[in-house]
Amino acid sequence: MARGIMPDYFKSEFVKIINRKYLAREANPFRTKAFDKLTEQGLPTKKDENWRFTDISSIKKGSFRISEKKDAPNADFNISGHELNSLKTVVFFNGHLQESLSALPKGLGVISNQKYMEQNGWALSQPTKSSFDLLNTAFIDSGVSIIVDKGIQISEPIRLLFICSSDEKLMTSPRIHVDIGESSSLSLFEQHVGDCNEYLFNQSVIVNIERNARLDHIRLQNNSESTINMGNLHVKQLEDSSYDFVQFAFGGKLGRTDVNIDLCEKGANCFVKGLSLSDHKQHLDVNVITNHHAPNCISDQNFKSILKGNSSGVFNGRVIVHDGAQKTDSSQSNKNLLLSKEALMNSNPQLEIYADDVKCSHGSSTGALESDALFYIRSRGIDQEAATALLVHGFASEIIEGIKNHDIKDLVITYFNTWLEQKN
Amino acid sequence: MLSVKNLHAGVSGKEILKGVDLSISPGEIHAVMGRNGSGKSTLSNVITGKDGYVISEGDIKYKDESIIEWSPEKRALAGIFMSFQYPVVMPGVNNTYFLKAALNSKLKNSGKKELNAAEFLKLVKEKLTELDMDISYLQRAVNEGFSGGEKKRNEILQMLTLEPELAIMDETDSGLDIDALKIIANGVNKYRNPSRSFLVITHYQRLLKYIEPDFVHVLIDGKFVRSGGKELALELEERGYEWLEE
Repeated sequence: MARGIMPDYFKSEFVKIINRKYLAREANPFRTKAFDKLTEQGLPTKKDENWRFTDISSIKKGSFRISEKKDAPNADFNISGHELNSLKTVVFFNGHLQESLSALPKGLGVISNQKYMEQNGWALSQPTKSSFDLLNTAFIDSGVSIIVDKGIQISEPIRLLFICSSDEKLMTSPRIHVDIGESSSLSLFEQHVGDCNEYLFNQSVIVNIERNARLDHIRLQNNSESTINMGNLHVKQLEDSSYDFVQFAFGGKLGRTDVNIDLCEKGANCFVKGLSLSDHKQHLDVNVITNHHAPNCISDQNFKSILKGNSSGVFNGRVIVHDGAQKTDSSQSNKNLLLSKEALMNSNPQLEIYADDVKCSHGSSTGALESDALFYIRSRGIDQEAATALLVHGFASEIIEGIKNHDIKDLVITYFNTWLEQKN
Repeated sequence: MLSVKNLHAGVSGKEILKGVDLSISPGEIHAVMGRNGSGKSTLSNVITGKDGYVISEGDIKYKDESIIEWSPEKRALAGIFMSFQYPVVMPGVNNTYFLKAALNSKLKNSGKKELNAAEFLKLVKEKLTELDMDISYLQRAVNEGFSGGEKKRNEILQMLTLEPELAIMDETDSGLDIDALKIIANGVNKYRNPSRSFLVITHYQRLLKYIEPDFVHVLIDGKFVRSGGKELALELEERGYEWLEE
């Protein structure tokens, strides 16, 4: 890896985060270790294969500061504007957990990261995959650990609401651990919102799914168009477990989601999907790596982007079928719709196969709306604008229709329609 | 109803129609027959307003108004409909939603009240029965996974729902088995009345056995080389196109 830049403000802020004492001093060694490693390798550069098309100079040149106590909300804070009353919600406001706003169902353990790390030993392995994981580990300032014990089914989604709200250039580093016990299931809904100016949000989510367990995970990123939203997701799956992930990336100046899935034992399945909508100068980037380590696993990657204005996007998808992962069944698809001539999409689907008895497919397409389809609709008396909307809806519906919870689906559809109706 | 005068049209510098004259009165069925490449599809596309064609000479009038500058939707709202030779597949676009949007666009345009979901469903169910189509058609995406026959029936379903005054049937018989052909012809025949006209475009005489035309025109190399009654279609069936090509 090429040696990248290490912004100066990281150094000054690192001292401050240690002093903020979000975690006990037992955390300091691994924070320092992560910070040292980050210092050594720096942030990625365009010479790094997975960062070729993503410009992170706003992170390198920006000078963000960590969120302090004063950046927590006032006592009279409420989540008005982000109500979704049907869902149990945990709120994070500028990297501060708002416990008073949260109510959780029985059978679900929600503990602090501090407690989680105490229980799992402070030597708990921290993610080191990318510079942004290291940055998160060094700067963890908030978050929560969600534990579902053996044999518990929680069907109503638990919502994690991340609010970025400040006039100052803040950086926050939430850490979420999710452990789903054997034969249990959970539905998790992450929602990212907030009006703010430049803001660096860098989150790591670490998921363990035990035998025969399942997690449904929806990530709705609807930040302001000044926010930088970096999401680092790590999922480890054991035998016969199942993971469903869908991301709706609608907001952000720069949005980058790294999804790393390890299918560690036989019979595990994962289905990861996404829909990105971008406009103006937004840049939305999705990197997904699915590792098949064991036989008889099924995986699917299905990502779509719709781009307007001068926006750009990246899909880097990799499926790696390791030696011994026989009877792997994997599919990968990336389809992108360009609604403006200035929009740019980089699509890079990749397959690496080291086993000989597998079924793998992949494909990618990028283009404008089909003129034949537009003509067909218009020839039925529907005007050009409505015809376009009909086709764009059709393109997106495959991803949106997969949402099981009606309230979440309605919310996504509302955002989608608003986006579609916005004129450049 | 439709008057095409000395129509010259083509794509990017290539003239395909080289002076077509056609006059269709209310209630008439006209058939245009020709081989592949004779300009049949260009004629239907130019009448319905598809992009990419250049009209270099002549005019198309619908109800005495020139329509060559009109958008496809304006022509459709005025009562022109085309049953496509290759209906477009639209993944993710629900058939009911599409058809209801089209009908409501038309109702709105003519100052009538738009239909709600229940009213629409009642209306469309009757049309489905006429065409021997299952209700499940409505839940599917437009033409996705439809067989050739199903696609053509779906076109006729749209026609019966939108109630155009001029319906162009572009190679509706291609890819149909005889049963599907009869069902479609039956739908069209029931739809006939003194104020509705048809332009049936076909390669073969087969369809014209079931939808009897009042006039038959033979299109060769962008021109009508002969026009006559329905017996002309039979003659073509027997003798082929060669005798007219010289």
